[in-house]
Amino acid sequence: MKQETVHADKVQLAYAGILSKATTLGMILVALGYIVYVFQLMPLSVQIDQVAGNWGLRASEFHHKVSGAPYGWSCFNQAGNGDVLSYISIIYLGIVTMMCLVAAGIAFLREKNMIYTLISFVQVAVLILAAAGVLSGGH
Amino acid sequence: MGLKNIKVGLLPGVLATLLFLMPQLAFAASATPVDTTAWWVWVLGLFVFTFLLGIVAVIAGVGGGVLYVPIVSSFFPFHIDFVRGTGLLVALAGALSAGPPLLRKGLANLKLAMSMSLIGSMSSIAGALVGLALPEKAIQMALGLTILGITVIMFLSKNSAYPQIEKPDALSKALQIHGIYYDEHLKQDVDWQIHRTPVGLLLFILIGFMAGMFGLGAGWANVPVFNLVLGAPLRVSVATSVFVLSINDTAAAWVYLHKGAVLPLIAVPSVAGMMLGTKIGAKLLTKVHTNVVRRVVIILLAVAGLRALLKGFGI
Repeated sequence: MKQETVHADKVQLAYAGILSKATTLGMILVALGYIVYVFQLMPLSVQIDQVAGNWGLRASEFHHKVSGAPYGWSCFNQAGNGDVLSYISIIYLGIVTMMCLVAAGIAFLREKNMIYTLISFVQVAVLILAAAGVLSGGH
Repeated sequence: MGLKNIKVGLLPGVLATLLFLMPQLAFAASATPVDTTAWWVWVLGLFVFTFLLGIVAVIAGVGGGVLYVPIVSSFFPFHIDFVRGTGLLVALAGALSAGPPLLRKGLANLKLAMSMSLIGSMSSIAGALVGLALPEKAIQMALGLTILGITVIMFLSKNSAYPQIEKPDALSKALQIHGIYYDEHLKQDVDWQIHRTPVGLLLFILIGFMAGMFGLGAGWANVPVFNLVLGAPLRVSVATSVFVLSINDTAAAWVYLHKGAVLPLIAVPSVAGMMLGTKIGAKLLTKVHTNVVRRVVIILLAVAGLRALLKGFGI
């Protein structure tokens, strides 16, 4: 019977290290943001009843009817509001994978593995373009 | 023995009860716009529901996203746009928190995941854009058909724990996709390699598109493609699928964020409920009959798929 051997390479360990810390932070931010939001510890851009009264509408109709609800990067204009803080914590979850891929790309570069350095940074570029709204129909 | 039987019967019982009760909830949902139920009742109900879903999902060996979207869109009053946006976040949060140990143990393979997700993430963005542009009925119809298709795949698919690959293909060699991991069942190292990489890439374009379009986590498709098409061992397939999912869902989630299809009021309790449920489910995994739960999930998916299809037809 063989003793367990760990076969993860340096790149995987670098990715896992960033992922673990970034995800833990993300979960804390998401929980805190939501508490601030639903207990209305800070002012809200849109009252919760108004959100609940219209959550059966299409997203486009919802934002047409409920002006001021946070979405996209425009939410940072109202960062002092509780609902916006909760929204920003969700945006953070969309950034975690990018941070991990940058770490992986740097680790691949150090190993002089040019194929995966290229794949890592092209993947990061795709995600950045999506986040910026270029590929994802942002405004 | 008695306790075991109770546990075995508990989950299907809970699910059957939920199924039985749900038409009333659904009726309440379709009866809106004047919904007199307090918002916190729906939010609390969503948290409890996703918690149960998380338990069932992990025991049945499926991702939470694939159960979340069809069931929540059928039985809660939220528009399917918001449900799909949240479904991606549920799958993404689950993948992010499951990831580190899988990488550290060497079960997940980054090179395999990154090769497939580069093209998959682009198609998931396209899928999300198409999904948000299509009329609601068309989405419900397509979702219903897709979920019924997934039900058939789950019912028929027979995974292979250790596929034997005689010769890796040229592309997988160029992309350095191979590996070794310690198998706790065999108590020994397992070497693996893959073949049919170009076919896998084409399939991941399709999977990414569907994941983005419907807000489904795509473990149901990633794992069979890795395992049965490419020939990766089952454990490697399951673990690597998590990373493909985290990259593809991140890309598609940005589309939903930019289109305003994410409401924190719905998203956060869903993510929290699913993650807590998944942790409990993982602890129950060795104590319940996974086959029984899997059968119940297949039935649940079939019902949800059929219901989405009927909604698409306006029935």
